[in-house]
Amino acid sequence: MTTIGITGLRTFLGRRLAERLASEAGLRLVGLDRLRPHGLAAGVHFREIDLTRPDAGSSLADVFHKEDVDVVVHLAFRREPTPDLDGDHELETIGSLHLLHACAAAGVPRLVVGSTTMVYGPHIDNPNFLSEEHPLRGHPHAHCVQNRVETERLVADWTARHPGTAVTVLRPCWIVGPTYRDAVTRYFGRQVVPTLMGYDPLLQFVHEEDCLDAFARAATGHHPGVYNVVAPGVLPLSTVLRTAGKRPLPVPPPLLYRLRAYPSQAQTGDRPEGFYDYLRYLWVADGRRGWEAFGRPLYTTREAWMAAISAARMRSYR
Amino acid sequence: MSESEPDPESPERESGDLWSAALASLRDELRRRLSPNPAADGDAGPGFDWVALGEDLRRRFGQLGMRERSGEVDDFGLDPETIRSARPLFSLLRKRWWRIEVVGLEHVPDDRPVLFVANHSGLLPWDGLALAETIEEAHGAARRPRFLIADWLITLPFVQPALARLGGVRACRENAERLLESGRSVVAFPEGVKGAAKTFRDRYRLQRFGRGGAVRLALAAGVPIVPVAIVGAEETHPILFKVETPARLLGLPFLPVTPTFPWFGPLGALPLPSKWVISFGEPLATAGPGGAQANDDLLVARLTEELRAEVQRLVKAALGIRPGVFA
Repeated sequence: MTTIGITGLRTFLGRRLAERLASEAGLRLVGLDRLRPHGLAAGVHFREIDLTRPDAGSSLADVFHKEDVDVVVHLAFRREPTPDLDGDHELETIGSLHLLHACAAAGVPRLVVGSTTMVYGPHIDNPNFLSEEHPLRGHPHAHCVQNRVETERLVADWTARHPGTAVTVLRPCWIVGPTYRDAVTRYFGRQVVPTLMGYDPLLQFVHEEDCLDAFARAATGHHPGVYNVVAPGVLPLSTVLRTAGKRPLPVPPPLLYRLRAYPSQAQTGDRPEGFYDYLRYLWVADGRRGWEAFGRPLYTTREAWMAAISAARMRSYR
Repeated sequence: MSESEPDPESPERESGDLWSAALASLRDELRRRLSPNPAADGDAGPGFDWVALGEDLRRRFGQLGMRERSGEVDDFGLDPETIRSARPLFSLLRKRWWRIEVVGLEHVPDDRPVLFVANHSGLLPWDGLALAETIEEAHGAARRPRFLIADWLITLPFVQPALARLGGVRACRENAERLLESGRSVVAFPEGVKGAAKTFRDRYRLQRFGRGGAVRLALAAGVPIVPVAIVGAEETHPILFKVETPARLLGLPFLPVTPTFPWFGPLGALPLPSKWVISFGEPLATAGPGGAQANDDLLVARLTEELRAEVQRLVKAALGIRPGVFA
């Protein structure tokens, strides 16, 4: 019997991963979050933990001890940035630090950390495919990405100091799918989509099911290391919009950044560069290592995107 | 999607009884729906409205046709549709405008990826585009080489997306390695921006060949290097002089002053009709893939110098072929 602890049970990935693994034989699921989720899947034991509390480390270690947790899947991250910069930092970076301390204290044999390929950052000097070894430069104006970069550094340091724990870091790119919603899908959900005039970067998506598959395999198997979780193929931004039937509104970047400055600050606490630069420069990741370890995704980037938009079109009629 | 008429004489008749019955009922249904006049019901042959059926099928499967128009790109952003639509323009440029003369095409192997190493000139990568088109015309689309473009072109809006669709890839080791690994040819300009941005006074004088990256790449990937001389691209945008202070304000490395730019604004981006010669040299064979030679710095430096001398020699020879700059 393997016991899997999942932090961030109320996040999309946490919840769906718990549901998926709870139905498998030989697995015991312990879900951790600040609040009890509605409609908890049968077979998932809920434990209340607030990662932003100063004593989160010791209470987590307690839970890991008592439940005899074999695998910890750390998914307690914001789905999208909030204007509460300090709160995000407390949860994402300091919360991860608490979790690492707890894993060390409880001697957890395996740890899976969810990250994102956004940590590579959109940069003009990126190669067309970023390998897992590429430096994590993030984006100076995207505070949630910076938190993830910091978390990854903490995890890397911790991994070097704790050879007894097999640590897997998964970096999915932008997730799309019939049920996944976040700031990115909301941006693409508009009828008229502001884009940066003169830029048409290649984008990459991963289908929610493929992403969950990778997490499930990482949680149940032994795959130490860092993996990009991406779908094969790329799509230019213009094609992404055209296939979805959206109308692009190209705006010169300086003007767009000025126009979006206040709303963006209010919604995300970041300057618009923190999001729109990801639609300006290339940040496509190389998924070959992940495909070898977790199997090739069922959906290509294009298919994942088509699945997402066809579901979005039907959503209002269901 | 063939119209599946069950043939009574076919051997599948017995086994496929259910199947043919289903098909027959479907056909009847189609006939009833499509027949313009309800009185013609049951009338088998002549009343059948094949046009409507065809229209229906066309509408249903037309979605497959959308693929052609939905911007399919390869993993480096090359768009065959853009290349196809730009072909008339490029063949006009190559055949009428520049009257490109191709020499030594027989040296280029057409059955495996190669690394083309060429001299770089002209502000915009016309040389890379012309070379890619020439090779595609000779050896087919599968052998179309990707040309590496310098960082400063990547920074330019509009230019970068257009170049990416035409097969331009940012010049860096990872990209070139991946392209060669996947069996695609690559055009490298080891002179880099130094070559593209040299003034007219220094035309056809090759600059330093970077840090030997091109040779190291070919040694590591085990692909032959084909030296190429491109003569004529120098005169497409002859740089009279460069200004630096206004360029720094715009965030560009330099601002060129040519006979047409900035005087004619964007029209200055049009290349002058110089006479071109593209000359391919003997391939420099490299050992098999994964060769340890790639780590031999002295060997790499020596080969790089040899390669530079060879390209310079080809350039001189090609200049001799050309009767005059605009002839």
